[in-house]
Amino acid sequence: RSCLGLTPALTARRLSKSRKAPKSHYITVRQRQPLLMFFSHEKVNPEHLALLLKSEWKLSYVTPLYQFRHTQLKSYSRQLSAFIAAEKQQGFAVEVDGSQSNFRVSFSVVQGMTETEDDAETVLIQVRAGFLRPISEAQRSVWSGWLTCVNGNSDYLCSLPKDFICLPLFGSSGSEVLTTLVQSWFQKMFDCCFGPLEMNNTCLQWLAALWTNCHPESSIQHLKMIWTLPVVPPLQITYTVNPKDAWKLWSSVRKDPCEENKEEEGVSIDIEDVMRFMQGLKSHFYRHFRLDLSAGCLKQVSTALGSATFSGRVKISNSQYILSTLTLLTECALFKMPV
Amino acid sequence: MDESIKRTMQRLVRRIPNQLLKPTLDKWGRLTAAQKQSLDFTQPKWALTERLLALCEENEWTAKHIIELEMIYVIDNPNQGMWYAFQLMDPEDDAASVELAQFKEQFKSHLRELVKHVSVKIKKHTDEAVWIRIAWGDGFTRPNHLKPTYVVHHLQTPYVFVSSLTSKQKPLLSQALVLSTRYNVIKDANLSGRKLTAIRDLLMRQYQQVFPTKFPSPLTEKNETVSNPCIEKEQSGAAANRLQMACEAFGDGELPQLQSAVYKLETKFKDPTNKTMTEQEEPFKCVIKFASTNLLESLKQCATSGIASTPVTPLLSSIPLKGRNYFVITDNGPGPTTQMHTSQK
Repeated sequence: RSCLGLTPALTARRLSKSRKAPKSHYITVRQRQPLLMFFSHEKVNPEHLALLLKSEWKLSYVTPLYQFRHTQLKSYSRQLSAFIAAEKQQGFAVEVDGSQSNFRVSFSVVQGMTETEDDAETVLIQVRAGFLRPISEAQRSVWSGWLTCVNGNSDYLCSLPKDFICLPLFGSSGSEVLTTLVQSWFQKMFDCCFGPLEMNNTCLQWLAALWTNCHPESSIQHLKMIWTLPVVPPLQITYTVNPKDAWKLWSSVRKDPCEENKEEEGVSIDIEDVMRFMQGLKSHFYRHFRLDLSAGCLKQVSTALGSATFSGRVKISNSQYILSTLTLLTECALFKMPV
Repeated sequence: MDESIKRTMQRLVRRIPNQLLKPTLDKWGRLTAAQKQSLDFTQPKWALTERLLALCEENEWTAKHIIELEMIYVIDNPNQGMWYAFQLMDPEDDAASVELAQFKEQFKSHLRELVKHVSVKIKKHTDEAVWIRIAWGDGFTRPNHLKPTYVVHHLQTPYVFVSSLTSKQKPLLSQALVLSTRYNVIKDANLSGRKLTAIRDLLMRQYQQVFPTKFPSPLTEKNETVSNPCIEKEQSGAAANRLQMACEAFGDGELPQLQSAVYKLETKFKDPTNKTMTEQEEPFKCVIKFASTNLLESLKQCATSGIASTPVTPLLSSIPLKGRNYFVITDNGPGPTTQMHTSQK
């Protein structure tokens, strides 16, 4: 069953050439801007938020879920617990500190992690393990994961048939075996498929620029980028820029802000700005080492606000910018999804 | 048996890989033929350790014996841990005539003057290197044999290589070294790596260097169908040229294995397309770290493959040329200049 057949919005599924500058969203407290007050992210459960910020997440994309209901989470919790138990009985190596542990799954909704009306609410899944029954809340969490959609392309979302829920970005943290089990349960239940979300050059460069753009409000401490060059043995180059200088370079490559109409939309950032920023960094490097970084592959970007790797591992360290980061990642996931 | 001896022995045996255990023990020569026979080297490590501890008790080995064994192992396997190079400067007139016996005695007595509890063991290796093992204590504690500092010095050269030295111990060691080698100053040589042999070879220029002379092209022409002989010829000429320049910059044959090089750049940002940044007075601050399992080989390949433009920039060729892998780069010349002048602090 192709859930994407004849969707007019397919052409819209590409990385934006321009996006809004990350505004700090104080998502755990009341929005400061009255305009946005009625407009989602009123309040995210601080516990959920802390969990999202605590771990590094391995990302995947997920195709739209067929007949997924946010009202059925209790039942899903039971079913997934049972599924894991059954797989374990069949000898699936679900070993977490001794083989005798029981697993309990809980699904919950993370209210407020959305930007538009079309975004489906984020779903958080936690797996706890313990030796005794019943497993209490306090028992050790051995795996967590979430499915989200922040600022998903509305043309695309609206073009989906009614029975599909699109939560294209999946993050997981914990035992790989459990990740595989959770994914195969989703595949069976909701007829979807998962795939690794690699973060290409463009995506990592966007993150570098978006984070640097936040510097005046929230210090990035450093802008660190890691490239590898295809020689034998491989050469790894770590380029760490002083935060102030990164910001200076960033502001110098931005379009003249006066030209822009500053509506409630906020300041927008263009892919050209990002490219000029990276070009500036590369040319400064070239001037010293006569070595072309474009010949290599950007593997990692990190600042105090977060880090992301080529292999699709992401850590978001600052709650204020979580939504803009997730917007970009949602876009990447939609882009990566097979048609 | 003393608990600390037991622990030192345990740690040491754990450190030595299984296949090296037998030759190291043989070289040490403290086991009787019968005891040697009783050791089964196919056994797992923990069982061997137990057996050696029993022998330790039986033979009444002291800390001295264990240190001997440790030094044999470390001297034979010097490419472990992180080594830092130091350079002695400003020699006294008699610096060139310092002999091993004199150095040994002087070093020990100077260090003991500075630190109350210290255990120093000095051993000369076949390649003229003097190996010094220092276990540090202080006014109240006995020397800690679990965290010894190793120092390697080639007499009559200004180079000293040190591993596992804390910042607290550094001035003490520096003073003892300066006094016993008859130099006046010791400074950081800005070179470090995991392979002692590599950083020694770099500093002492013990690797195959290539000098800028014309030499026959190493590229052998293959008998492929040549689409355009002129282009082919020009390209192979350029490739040979790149290879020559890469060899001149980094050397030929097997290159000393360095793991990293770090450049702290505090230079002006100059880019004709970016007026705002170019007009900035302040330098653009960043740190660049190159890392590889064999850095010089990787850099050389960058130059031969064309990823790095040739001739190789002095910043990169300074690694082998100056025997350094840590640099602070600042702008030298005042005012705008078309060429980049850099100074290396």
